[in-house]
Amino acid sequence: MEKYDVIVAGCGPCGAMAARAAAKAGAKVLAIDRRKELGAPVRCGEGIGLHWMEELGIKMNPKAVSAEINGSLLISPDWTRKVMIKNKETKGFVVDRKVFDKELAIEAGRCGADILVHSEIYDVIREGGKTCGVKALVDGKKQEFRAEAVIAADGGESTVARLAGLNTVASLYDTDFGVEYEMVNVECEDLIEVYFSNADAPRGYVWIFPKGKDVANVGVGIGGLHTPNAKYYLDKWIRAHPERLGKAKTVAIKGGIIPVGAPMTDEAVGEGIIAAGTAAHQVDPIHGGGICLAMEAGKMAGEVAAKNALAKTCDRAHLLEYAEIYKKVRAPKLMKRLKLRKVLEKLSDDDFNAVFAHLDDKDIDNLLKSNFAAVVGKMSRLLLNRPGLLKAMSALL
Amino acid sequence: MIEVNKNLCIYCGACVGVCPVLANRLRETWIEHDPQKCIDCASCVKACPMAAITLHKGKKSL
Repeated sequence: MEKYDVIVAGCGPCGAMAARAAAKAGAKVLAIDRRKELGAPVRCGEGIGLHWMEELGIKMNPKAVSAEINGSLLISPDWTRKVMIKNKETKGFVVDRKVFDKELAIEAGRCGADILVHSEIYDVIREGGKTCGVKALVDGKKQEFRAEAVIAADGGESTVARLAGLNTVASLYDTDFGVEYEMVNVECEDLIEVYFSNADAPRGYVWIFPKGKDVANVGVGIGGLHTPNAKYYLDKWIRAHPERLGKAKTVAIKGGIIPVGAPMTDEAVGEGIIAAGTAAHQVDPIHGGGICLAMEAGKMAGEVAAKNALAKTCDRAHLLEYAEIYKKVRAPKLMKRLKLRKVLEKLSDDDFNAVFAHLDDKDIDNLLKSNFAAVVGKMSRLLLNRPGLLKAMSALL
Repeated sequence: MIEVNKNLCIYCGACVGVCPVLANRLRETWIEHDPQKCIDCASCVKACPMAAITLHKGKKSL
């Protein structure tokens, strides 16, 4: 049986960053992924903010970029009002996850991490309540790998964390379900388009993310517990807009799960185990984006796990350092955005239309940066005429 | 227990993430369901973005 310092379950953006960080810190690392082709099948909109690349110290490989994005366009339910935001935060890319994810894994490999693809972890090894390795199917054969610490970076399924005794199961209410078609013959500018409407996408939104030239990811995410299903809403929306999508042809179907409730921190840590990224619900509650948040969390988890693995101190108390860093660096921002999400969820399409008529790009920017007071103040006259909206918005203050 | 329509399923893993008892396992391109673990809660039926899952309440085999 092979012995490692750190084993990373899943080699997506989170796992690859964790493996790379741990290897860089001098740990013997193994990353295991079920898929034979990293990044495939794609499960998301593939949008990434440029500012993250600097924050994470990552160089974007041009091969991974499908389209460069300069701004966001938010559209009201009745389509009469559009707000365009163009600033540093809205600059970014729509990437090709199949290339992007593999590039991250390649970097992890270059840093010395061992990687096993097409290898499924089907159980963890636990001794005295501590996770001390994993059992995996490698080339169809059962194998065991021991480690001081295991990082569960296996995305929305979050199986490994649960096998290790952490409760990462996503409640239906706090989960978004998404379906997306990659389509050709969709005219696009260099803008991320976001369509708000509780009728078209209950507790979620419809998006069009440019993928270069006349290709785009057209998708819908809906809040859990809405029936019938995400595909129904997407098909309906596409049919309802023949002027835009009448000639569009689908060349790929993508789908997935987005746990948009509060990010896990202390609960994501156990004896010998850390859950990170989407597996620990570390997703932006407003737009559901999770690639870069996962990379950030993976890096934190990898560094903490490596340090403690080398010192043989992978008990929960020591690994909680990861949760402490997360609570300092990221969780407060996500909690504020969750607060905004809870308000947006309560708005009717009529409310949305009225709100849109009162907001400009600076207001939206303020909302996204959680400077709520300025925006609510500006809307005071509208709010006085709409008691329901006033009640919903007052939760922001 | 549940039944997954393999022709509709896009193996996105939604049914795995929401299952409270780990009765669903995503293999490379298919879902493996364990009827013995399943508690008929229908979470996965509601979660499936493709509506590919049917619940057979009370059944432990097809």
